[in-house]
Amino acid sequence: MGGQQRVYRQRIRSTQSLKKIFRAMELIAASRIGKARDRVTAAAPYSRAITRAISAVATHSSVDHPLTTERTDTNRVAVLVITADRGMAGAYSANVLREGERLAERLRGEGKEVVPFAFGRRGVGYFKFRKRELAGEWQGESDAPTLATAQEIARALYGAFTASAEEGGVSELHIVYTHFSSMVSQEPRVIRLLPIELVSGVAEPGEDVEPLYEFEPSAEQVLDALLPRYIESRIHACMLQGAASELANRQRAMHTAVENAEDIIRQYTRLANSARQAEITQEISEIVSGADALAAS
Amino acid sequence: MTPTAKTDAPASQEAANTPVIGRVARVIGPVVDIEFPADAIPDVYNALTVDIDLSAQGEDEGVLHMTLEVAQHLGDNMIRAIALKPTDGLVRGAEVTDTGAPISVPVGDVTKGHVFNVTGEVLNAKEGETVEVTERWPIHRKPPAFDQLESKTQMFETGIKSIDLLTPYVQGGKIGLFGGAGVGKTVLIQEMIYRVANNHDGVSVFAGVGERTREGNDLIDEMTESGVINQTALVFGQMDEPPGTRLRVALSALTMAEYFRDVQSQDVLLFIDNIFRFTQAGSEVSTLLGRMPSAVGYQPNLADEMGQLQERITSTRGHSITSLQAIYVPADDYTDPAPATTFAHLDATTELSREIASRGLYPAIDPLTSSSRILDPRYVGADHYSVASDVKAILQRNKELQDIIAILGVDELSEEDKIIVARARKIQQFLSQNTYMATQFTGVAGSTVPLTETIEAFGGIVNGKYDHISEQAFFNIGGLEDLDKAWNRIQKEIG
Repeated sequence: MGGQQRVYRQRIRSTQSLKKIFRAMELIAASRIGKARDRVTAAAPYSRAITRAISAVATHSSVDHPLTTERTDTNRVAVLVITADRGMAGAYSANVLREGERLAERLRGEGKEVVPFAFGRRGVGYFKFRKRELAGEWQGESDAPTLATAQEIARALYGAFTASAEEGGVSELHIVYTHFSSMVSQEPRVIRLLPIELVSGVAEPGEDVEPLYEFEPSAEQVLDALLPRYIESRIHACMLQGAASELANRQRAMHTAVENAEDIIRQYTRLANSARQAEITQEISEIVSGADALAAS
Repeated sequence: MTPTAKTDAPASQEAANTPVIGRVARVIGPVVDIEFPADAIPDVYNALTVDIDLSAQGEDEGVLHMTLEVAQHLGDNMIRAIALKPTDGLVRGAEVTDTGAPISVPVGDVTKGHVFNVTGEVLNAKEGETVEVTERWPIHRKPPAFDQLESKTQMFETGIKSIDLLTPYVQGGKIGLFGGAGVGKTVLIQEMIYRVANNHDGVSVFAGVGERTREGNDLIDEMTESGVINQTALVFGQMDEPPGTRLRVALSALTMAEYFRDVQSQDVLLFIDNIFRFTQAGSEVSTLLGRMPSAVGYQPNLADEMGQLQERITSTRGHSITSLQAIYVPADDYTDPAPATTFAHLDATTELSREIASRGLYPAIDPLTSSSRILDPRYVGADHYSVASDVKAILQRNKELQDIIAILGVDELSEEDKIIVARARKIQQFLSQNTYMATQFTGVAGSTVPLTETIEAFGGIVNGKYDHISEQAFFNIGGLEDLDKAWNRIQKEIG
């Protein structure tokens, strides 16, 4: 019994120090999440504007731009998954990767070959462990992604999309990321970035009436200039959403972890107390019965 | 109060001719003080007899013949003895006869097929059957000398995967089955009797020490049915018996086993269920004998008592006693002095765990705490050893990860750890096995898995060969063939 007591005390101690770490990480995540949300909101107007511009160009011209048409010369499809660099964020990365696997499954079912790109160390590790080749990997800033990285990723993906079939070009571009709906709800989502799905007649009557555009020098050139920026902004937006989701997930996961640790500490404290009591009782009864035996003889 | 022990003292000529009579001076439960003439004090370990007239108690007519064993010389012509029957009806002044020799039991071929009590009386004699006892041996004997001991080491295959892989038993060794209440010690020992005794061409001896009387009956019935009983001697002193009996019954059985080993030069299997009851009986009488209780109330000579029994259970050159002992662990506490003292004597210890039993995985052998002296590449071979260590390593890692999973959830594990957890779960399931004893509960017949197949199968799990097979397929099956069958069935069910 005495040995058990020591085991329990040791586990209580180690769980207590774990709890401290979890508490600290929860607080850090909580303090960063405000900024991450601000970034998401700050990126929104630009993203909206560029989307509107793109749709304006597309609807008001009949350009057959390569970025808007389906490629048929290759069956390769690029998928970018946005995960976290570190764990301790609950199922955040696991959910995205699971969604990515589902997408890959579907694409393979359509007879396409998936070319994976990964952002975030967890995602990179996931593919590396399974010995699957990554066409591109970025890591180190999943909780505060910079525009520079977004541009780099956009260049890589854009390059793959515009490359010829022989040079490893891809016909589609998907992003799997976590959409930040609110502090309590984030869900993994898949968007198809390229080719852009043009929905004709987007204008909702009554709202702002779309002006009649004229393109200088030509609609095609405008689209050429706009599209890379559009891709950049979409990728950056996804990364920012991911970052906010990661922090929210981390805060929540750490909160649960702290609670679980407290549960375990409570459990072991009880066990340790009863072990201690058993030891005391046993010692008393030994002393008493020993004394009795001595007195009797 | 030190007993002047003379174990194998031959009956003195004088005592044989004119029996020495003493008188009961005091009765305290199972301990009786008796006064003898100053010139004829019986030796320690001598058997004394006394007749109790039952009609005096208003019971049925008849006389209860009781045996006592001298435990101590108190001085002033008094000796202190332990009764081997309940002392109800024993009165002060009753006449006690010194038999002049220790308790003895019949030995030799006559013991086969019979059930005995501690004093060697036959309990299952048929109507009119007389058992002719040709030779009797005293139950207190010396352990074999050092130079007589067997030094060879050979593995003893049981066909139970978890035992063969993780705690390989030694031919002629001492094997302990530890476990708390209700985790399957008795079932496992009966399983071993079924597996081993049935395929064993030598003699088996079973000692029932302080366990359930019903289990003893079941065992006798089963052995009669399978015919093994003709090669088996059974000695019972179950939980209804007084402590004196439970303290000596293991020695009675052991004496019979020793005869087969030493005189008939046979390989003997000795089953003892349950060694803890032996210790417990010792502690029941210890304080009454006037000894100061030691830790946890056990007798102060706990280690000595255990040593005297265990040192005799051993193999001598060429002839072996392979013993399987069930050891109850009070309150699942392995640090309790009784199981802790027993540990040191054993070649292989199989620990049964409540946690595993509660998950329905039988035999509930704890792979991490069970061990064997011969789990060493020198004895079992490099293959066996490396697979066993890999299995243990995976299970150990899984155990460490359980805390992380409890706090952070399974998604936090790294990719490597996730695979380790998955394989560990398969290993845990695969360590369970369909047993012959459980056939009546599960409706699945038992299985015997050859060692080579066990090693191959576990090696496969460890290396990820069976990563694609789902966990349920590994549950309660025998070897690789069963695994294929179970996996096919599951795949069909899933569709």
